[in-house]
Amino acid sequence: MSAPAVVGTGIVCSLGADVPAFTAALRDGRSGITRADGVLCAPLGDWSFRAAVDDVPEPLRTRALRAAGRSPRPVAAAVAAVVEAWVAAGLPDVPGDRVGVVVAGHNLTDRYAHDLHESYAHRLDYLPARFALHALDTDHVGTISEVLSATGEGYTVGGASASGNVAIVHGARLVAAGVVDCCVVVGALTELTPLHRRGFTALGALAAPDGDPAGACRPFDADRRGFVPGEAAAALVLESAASAARRGVPVRALVPGVALGLDGNRLADPSAAGEARVMRAALRAAGVEPGELDYVNAHGTASRLGDETELAALHAVLGDAVARPWVNSTKGLTGHCLASAGVVEAVATVAQLAGGFVHPSANLANPVDDRVRFAGATARPARLDRALSNGFGFGGINSAVVFAAVHNGG
Amino acid sequence: MTVFEAVKESLLEVVPETDPAAVVPGRTLRELGCTSIDRAEVVTLAMERLGVVVPISEFQDVNDLDAIVALLAEHR
Repeated sequence: MSAPAVVGTGIVCSLGADVPAFTAALRDGRSGITRADGVLCAPLGDWSFRAAVDDVPEPLRTRALRAAGRSPRPVAAAVAAVVEAWVAAGLPDVPGDRVGVVVAGHNLTDRYAHDLHESYAHRLDYLPARFALHALDTDHVGTISEVLSATGEGYTVGGASASGNVAIVHGARLVAAGVVDCCVVVGALTELTPLHRRGFTALGALAAPDGDPAGACRPFDADRRGFVPGEAAAALVLESAASAARRGVPVRALVPGVALGLDGNRLADPSAAGEARVMRAALRAAGVEPGELDYVNAHGTASRLGDETELAALHAVLGDAVARPWVNSTKGLTGHCLASAGVVEAVATVAQLAGGFVHPSANLANPVDDRVRFAGATARPARLDRALSNGFGFGGINSAVVFAAVHNGG
Repeated sequence: MTVFEAVKESLLEVVPETDPAAVVPGRTLRELGCTSIDRAEVVTLAMERLGVVVPISEFQDVNDLDAIVALLAEHR
């Protein structure tokens, strides 16, 4: 069975509203993290859906506007990312029933429901008639399927902060099993409510909003102090090798190995053994030996315990080869995009494989581990062939995805 | 704001691609590009604009602009 191919990527996040802008920001090591109203976040800002799809070819543009013109912001952002990825994939002409849609995340409508509660709880007669549709996580699936005329399999998948990778795993399996030829994998934008933010604060998971916002998120630094939430929607188009070859489209990367596993633990208590198990399984599925791995896109949220646990797992999996791969955390720049993090980091990984560089590590003044080859303060060129992208969620949900570069023409 | 203006504004908010000049008495909402969900949305938005409350059940078989306007006017 040949590995599913990544034939298109798309993103809308604090660093930019498309893949070229995002990639440029990664190269520059630019952080999207700001502080507003005493709260740290890497926000989407004043992004506009209508402007985002302005250059999209017809009839896709009209379909997108009609389907998502009045959608809640996470759905609109997801559609914009999907449309970018679909155009980048050469507007696949595969039959609709051979196109699948897998959306990463859960509790995606909490902010929408929270905001409408504020406006309508005391005057329910005027509750917008679309509420019952928009209040469902699967509004993402329905809306994206309408935009693409996709009639294959589709669903949301949840795995807390591992959701993005969980979706990539399921999308890759749909393609590998021949259920669909093309699968759109979408990382959904998480908008926190004050309650959800406070919940993370109560667990001690968030970086405190004091000091310079640009220095707040410090993955793998001795002075790290928790994560900073980020807003992003991201998308991949996965396609079978046969279908991509038939269409003659460039393959940006392959997904030769994926793995998921649980810790048997409902807490925010990561396990190095559980994390190592999925990393090993993904590498084994991809046929990649520890000494062949070139790059690790770490889960690296800047959590004190989480980062330390991930490093212990990397040591366990790679042994002496732990010094070989470049390691960075995209979350230092984008913030932790929660449900979409795995897909955001897949877009970042594919951009680095295809672009031949590793993006800088944000705020890594004093790395906690001197045997690991962390990316430095500036981007550097690197030939990367095999990459591992990790994602770990509360409740012991572990995931790992291997990407392989395709160097067209050698 | 007349009831008709409230309905027209609500409709154009829900289906902005519709030509405003086409929103005239005598048209059905379907002709103006509305799905059944759009129609329900137009009704709740127009109720909110006018500050009136009409039981949703009364809109069940109401599909043209004139009938929606008449029903809202009745409760104004």
